Amino acid sequence: MLLALWPQGWSRQQRSNATLVAALVLMVLALSLLGQLLSFFPDPIGPNAQAFSEGARTTLWLTLVSGAVGLVLGTAAALARTARWTAVRWMAGVYIWAIRGTPLLVQILFVYFALPVLVPGLNLPDFAAAVVALGLNVGAYNAEALRAGLLAVPRGQTEAAKALGLGRMHVFLDVVFPQAFKISLPPLVSNFVALLKDSSLAYAIGVVELTNVGNRIQSATFQPIATLTTVAITYLLLTTLVTQVSNAVEYRFDVEGRNR
Amino acid sequence: MTATTNQPKPYIVAERVCKSFGAHQVLKDVSTVFHTGEVTVIIGASGSGKSTLLRAINRLEPHDSGRITIDGVDVCDDLATLQRQRCEVGMVFQQFNLFGHMSVLDNVTLAPRRIRRTPRTQANDEAMQLLRRVGMQDHAHKYPWQLSGGQQQRVAIARALAMQPKVMLFDEPTSALDPEMVKEVLDVMRGLARGGMTMIVVTHEMGFAREVADRVMFFDQGRIAHDAPPQEFFSNPANDRIRAFLGQVSH
Repeated sequence: MLLALWPQGWSRQQRSNATLVAALVLMVLALSLLGQLLSFFPDPIGPNAQAFSEGARTTLWLTLVSGAVGLVLGTAAALARTARWTAVRWMAGVYIWAIRGTPLLVQILFVYFALPVLVPGLNLPDFAAAVVALGLNVGAYNAEALRAGLLAVPRGQTEAAKALGLGRMHVFLDVVFPQAFKISLPPLVSNFVALLKDSSLAYAIGVVELTNVGNRIQSATFQPIATLTTVAITYLLLTTLVTQVSNAVEYRFDVEGRNR
Repeated sequence: MTATTNQPKPYIVAERVCKSFGAHQVLKDVSTVFHTGEVTVIIGASGSGKSTLLRAINRLEPHDSGRITIDGVDVCDDLATLQRQRCEVGMVFQQFNLFGHMSVLDNVTLAPRRIRRTPRTQANDEAMQLLRRVGMQDHAHKYPWQLSGGQQQRVAIARALAMQPKVMLFDEPTSALDPEMVKEVLDVMRGLARGGMTMIVVTHEMGFAREVADRVMFFDQGRIAHDAPPQEFFSNPANDRIRAFLGQVSH
């Protein structure tokens, strides 16, 4: 959407940069002005505008932190899945198998309630526990998205890079990863958007994020339509902004001009 | 003294090299010597092992037994040695294998910038010289997908030359090209050969072999079945298999 706004003459990089900056500015603006905007609405939204806006901020923050954790974990697990050593491949396989095979809600509850029992002294606060569980979860899905990308880079690319005398590190960082990442980007974005919405499950361990706020207000005011609609629209706003950022990144990698 | 330094000396030596893919043995006790300044053309039916020998030289396909040495140094799994050797041995592939996410210029400068730590401006200057040599200087800022096959292959040759290799390996460099683009690539290769580059070329271009090669090698079922100067090789085929093969490719 934003990408279409820029002048015809701009290069791909310029458009991508402009979109990134614009989307980030919009995100900050939206979050800082959300409280004021909602305060103009009638009861039950107006009086609770501040709570909504804090909830939205917590949701976004939770998503960003666990998204970053998930990207690092996902890259590591994808590499481990394609590694030469059987033990490493196997460990990554078990991680992905366990995470994908169990409900996220169970994982969140597990990290918050069971982990302190298993590892005495490891009492994570609710937000940190949510970050660990969400990060682990999205990491497993990201690993498969990135692995698909790694496998999709033709063998000839690696061979050509090796034949030039490049070391393993450079073969990977300069040749394989950029191309794999480009292929993985759409599924990675899907995972990130899903994470933004799934972060609502942190509600279960008492994190005061958007859904939690909405539900509390809804039950206090007996006005479910207005409150839950506000919650839904706020999520929609956040995901829209996030996809603007990811579109800009995708556009930057699109040297073939396939995304018009 | 000057005469002796220009004398061809053994550069790549293969001794009893064997390689199997599963039960299928593609190289059977291949022994040969490639000298400096020599242009060797390897021909043979597909599956006869000619590409595998080429890929064994820079260890894209490790051989099972026997020995390959480059300038006296064994080709083995030691990474540091291998990377040094690969810098000395340029390779051009049938499918070009240009890095699709990089411009032509970046394709050529990547190896010098990463391996020799050449500063970008200097690397760009040197790359432009190479691109001029292959007639691609006007396309330096394009991406591979914007180029024709012949253009991509010429860029691939420039990329392989960027590390100033002592030998160039060509693995069927014109087999994936439309007929009208074959000539532009062969012209670049002719220029290289005239400049004294040591070349090992796997190809089906008999005209090129006749004109440029110092030596033509015929591979048959994993062995070097015949090895002769082009004049002799083509005018007086050594056996029926070669005659049959030449008859097939000329039609």
